[in-house]
Amino acid sequence: MNPETVQTIIDDLGALLLFTMILIIAARQISHAIHAVAAQSLLIAIAGAVLATATGNEDLWVIAGVTLAIKAIVLPWVLHWVVRRLNVRREIEPVIAISATLALAVGVVVMSFHLSASLGPVRQAITGNALPVGIALTLLGVLVMATRKTALTQMVGLFASENGIFFTAMAVTQGMPLIIEIGVILDVILAALVMTIMVLRVRSTVDADIADLDRLRG
Amino acid sequence: MAQMLLWVLPLVPTVTALLMLTTRDRRILSVIDVGSSAVLFALTLVLAREVATGGPQALGVLRVDDLGLVFLLLLVILTLAVSIYTVGWLRQAVEVGNMKAESLRSYFVLMHAFVATMVVTVLADNLGVLWIAMEGTTITSAVLIGYHGHQHGLEAAWKYIIVTTIGISFGLFGTVLVYAAATDVMGGAGAMSWSAIMKVAPMLDPGIVRIGFIFVMVGYGTKAGLAPMHLWLPDAHSQAPTPVSALLSGILIKCALLAIIRFQTIASAACGPAFPAEVLLVFGLTSVVVATPFILVQQDIKRLLGYHSIEHVGIVALGLGFGGSVGTYGALLHVVNHGITKALAFFAAGTAIARYGSRDIHVIRGLLAVAPIGATLLMLAALSLAGMAPFSIFVSELMVLRAGIGHGHWVAIAIFLVMVVVIFAGLLHHVGAMVFGEPTAAAGREVEAWSPLLGMLLLAAIMVLLGLTIPASFDGLLERATEVVVG
Repeated sequence: MNPETVQTIIDDLGALLLFTMILIIAARQISHAIHAVAAQSLLIAIAGAVLATATGNEDLWVIAGVTLAIKAIVLPWVLHWVVRRLNVRREIEPVIAISATLALAVGVVVMSFHLSASLGPVRQAITGNALPVGIALTLLGVLVMATRKTALTQMVGLFASENGIFFTAMAVTQGMPLIIEIGVILDVILAALVMTIMVLRVRSTVDADIADLDRLRG
Repeated sequence: MAQMLLWVLPLVPTVTALLMLTTRDRRILSVIDVGSSAVLFALTLVLAREVATGGPQALGVLRVDDLGLVFLLLLVILTLAVSIYTVGWLRQAVEVGNMKAESLRSYFVLMHAFVATMVVTVLADNLGVLWIAMEGTTITSAVLIGYHGHQHGLEAAWKYIIVTTIGISFGLFGTVLVYAAATDVMGGAGAMSWSAIMKVAPMLDPGIVRIGFIFVMVGYGTKAGLAPMHLWLPDAHSQAPTPVSALLSGILIKCALLAIIRFQTIASAACGPAFPAEVLLVFGLTSVVVATPFILVQQDIKRLLGYHSIEHVGIVALGLGFGGSVGTYGALLHVVNHGITKALAFFAAGTAIARYGSRDIHVIRGLLAVAPIGATLLMLAALSLAGMAPFSIFVSELMVLRAGIGHGHWVAIAIFLVMVVVIFAGLLHHVGAMVFGEPTAAAGREVEAWSPLLGMLLLAAIMVLLGLTIPASFDGLLERATEVVVG
């Protein structure tokens, strides 16, 4: 593949990634948000495969495979399992209206593109628009976490945020060292595991959502 | 030999953690705990001597230089003190039912896993490994914070894991950006190694490094407890078991500062020292200002100490921001001073809380009458934390001030001084009321246990010593560490 084709594909994938992010923000049911973040991870895996073919960097195949297995299949499955287990009656509970969050999201995306357009020469180190898309996804993930009151939605925001970082890291011309990427994914798995245990533990003792507890103040 | 030690150090707590899986007996667990911490301490001293004579040592992704050594020494001293303190603390906690006798094993295993991840954080040369280890500290310590298992503990643990995980995702993004800038100059191999990046740092693209540094500052700043990303800190510090609080405040937030310093050196070389200095000043001043009102109105002694840590992390950031050799030396000295003193304060507060069965400052009264040694140590720690001469924190705060005056940061200095004076009065008012006066009915009258006292005396001795004089070998270490940062 020639560099222009790769750049076009990465840019298209970037647009799709932003679209899945909008779906996560607009989701009114937790299961929709989980589907959207799984789709997002799938797109990241495809981006990894495309970059692996284009650059001949075999490590990227491994990373794409691990992303597909862990982030697109296992973690969403675990989240669905928790949803069923908890029998979540209350769906997504936004702190501010979803439409307002969407408006903020548009601002974040515009700002991200504006920011990386000002960088100039640096852009050659990172393929296509991976940098602004990555920045936007990371910030929007934080936005989701800050504006939702349920633990599971906060976890979805966290995964989306990390997807943004992975997308940018893959698109750095040389790719990240394999061992580092594996370590990062391992950390994500462990963090998700600990969070899941905490959510179940609080639900079993006080029948409340852990993210909704607010006794500690001042 | 010295290179091998680099890998042995993180293995000591790891092997200890595995070894602890074989027993459930509290006494045996405590013996292994203290023994392992003593071994870690001894090995670090050997490594320190090697570094003093042979310069920085590196093997693979791990590397130790004088800068890392300052943090490593603080880490092993605090680990040793915590282990000694834990012996008596645990006996008491099991008696009153705060800790369940049958689940002690997992507590010790997590503690050592936590220490192992911090050792790797301090020794990491590869910035990716640094990040992975830092996230490792989050996972292990989150479980420890919620260890008591009650609703408040779990709430604090959730807030902690969510806020710091999202925080250090920013750190990872910053790392990726700096890596992208480095690969542009030197190609992929070794572009994540801090020492390799430092060699080419002046050639890095300043635009991308600048954005990378801001991401890193927000990311690791969250973990360091810098305002306005400090939201997790007071909850976590107040809800965690006391030995964990001491480690969180004493060394964990300092590990995050070390990560910030590593990126500060890269950013200083790539875009000039003025830019990172300004960012550090802004976060430092915000932290000092934000912490002050919460210290004044606080009812909960451990929350009080937590907010106080935010102020002191802010002071370290100010010292790094004022820069120059005086500011950086002062900041590094302050890291050590605050780590030792704050761990002591948490220990003393923890024994007082156990005695009165409450964290409320209004309930803990007349400590001097019922526990004279513990009360004296608490008062000494508070005097030092408030910045009273001749204690160690006074010395490092003065250095930070001198650096600020030397570089003409008058506004920052004025705000800093006002806040320090206000906090001085607020802290001594609170602690004075706890120590003096008539003991309340809630006060336990039992004799003070020896092991917590021993742990506290160890830290108090170091605190007093560093206030009176800085030993020549330690001074040399700080000088060389300052050179690593300032260049």
